[in-house]
Amino acid sequence: MSSSPTFNSIATILETDFRVARANISPATALSDLGLDSLALMEFVFAVEDAFHLRIPEDRLDPREAGITLQRLCEVIDAEGEAAAARAEPMAAAA
Amino acid sequence: MSSGAAHAVLAATATAHTAAAPVHVSGLGFITPLGRSIEAFDDALFAGRSAVRAQPLEIPGMDPMAIAAATCDFDASSVRSASRLPLDRGTAMALAAAQDAAADAGLDLDALDRDRLGIFWGSGLAGASTFDATTRALYGEQRRMRPTTVLTVMPNAAVAELALHFGARGAALAYACACASSAVAIGEAMRAIRGGWIDIAIVGGHDAMLTPGVMASWHAMRVMAPPPADAPATACRPFSGDRAGFAIGEGAAALVLESEAHARARGAGAQPFVLSGYASNCDGTHITNPDPAGQVRAMRAALRDAGLVPSDIGHINAHGTATSAGDAAEAASIGELFGDAAPVSATKAIHGHVLGGGGAIELVAALRALAREILPPIAHLHTPDAAFGNVDFVRGAAREARGLRHVLSNSFAFGGTNAVIVASRRVSEG
Repeated sequence: MSSSPTFNSIATILETDFRVARANISPATALSDLGLDSLALMEFVFAVEDAFHLRIPEDRLDPREAGITLQRLCEVIDAEGEAAAARAEPMAAAA
Repeated sequence: MSSGAAHAVLAATATAHTAAAPVHVSGLGFITPLGRSIEAFDDALFAGRSAVRAQPLEIPGMDPMAIAAATCDFDASSVRSASRLPLDRGTAMALAAAQDAAADAGLDLDALDRDRLGIFWGSGLAGASTFDATTRALYGEQRRMRPTTVLTVMPNAAVAELALHFGARGAALAYACACASSAVAIGEAMRAIRGGWIDIAIVGGHDAMLTPGVMASWHAMRVMAPPPADAPATACRPFSGDRAGFAIGEGAAALVLESEAHARARGAGAQPFVLSGYASNCDGTHITNPDPAGQVRAMRAALRDAGLVPSDIGHINAHGTATSAGDAAEAASIGELFGDAAPVSATKAIHGHVLGGGGAIELVAALRALAREILPPIAHLHTPDAAFGNVDFVRGAAREARGLRHVLSNSFAFGGTNAVIVASRRVSEG
């Protein structure tokens, strides 16, 4: 998991745009432990959505829910990405 | 009127107080179309080398056009915000310029009493470019705004980031007076230092407005010069008979100001100049049309503040926007006060009109003239407007000015705000 393309992408966003030290970024890291305030966390989720060209439904990533990890975020992103691909290319997804 | 009498008393008090209290300039930093280093800035300044180019402006549904613009070689992503929020390009320039100025001044933040450190900063349009880009996304395919848009766009966005970065607790004040914003910010910091409210300040201003919607807004005012196809760099020709308006520029400039006592106590390096006078007023007559009478009053007041008379001034960096009305008013006010005794330069010809950053960048240019004892030429000025015959414009090549002691920088804004700063060669103590 730690070397998945999705994880690497969000780790780069955290490191580059939000100055989170790489050592503090692991799949098990909770969003609430990144050292970002609530506004910066929202901005981070926006940045991730823009980078992956998708929207994460609010019920999948409720910021009030403590303990959401980066791994969970990756899973949501991958699931949304697959769902979007399925909507765009129903035949390919069925195959 | 009683308010007039009160002002007279205040002015007299200020004169008596300030003539004895020049403000120490302990560091400079800038991001400009002419460059980021003193060497690059001086090279372009004294050669009259223009950074203005023709920049295409293409908006779907509008005829494509070219705008005269001067951009900075600056990567905004190289700057990190203390807030960890995204930065407007102009705010990034402000942070970079301020950090350069702080380094130049040898500031040791841990050793400063930061309850006595202030940020005084000017911007005309502040986050307009970010707002332009985010609303374009909102009405386009994104259909949402970023949660940080307000914090990125607000007029004090740069001030807030600077205060966070430096941990400044004495003051964090944003000045929005269009083209005079940073000159006012610098002058108000001088007053705060002289008044004893703070000991040291990081001051200056910025604007970065080169997004399509903002450029189109300027273009719509009919104040921008069309870039000549064969020589776009010469678009802005201040005080010329064939002047046609300004080129838009982007950039930021910062100074570290402090009281002489504070500078001495921390062992700050001695710069060759001090800020000796400042005045700000308002024409109170028209939103865009400048009033020479208001400008004369502002320049007189700045001279009084410095304890000087017009014949002491050896160089003027004019506001010089190269608009028809702007240059006519300024030539009239300079002519009335100085005649042809004070050589005039106008550097917007080469770095463009940086609006909120203009006053600070042009003060840096005036300080460089003072430091080098050379006056920069007004680029592209071959034949001054025949109506301005009684003013000495520096034309052609840079002019030597041995023994130059006092310079004056004008900033005259939309809205009628006038701000004038006088800088002087340091007189050796003892």
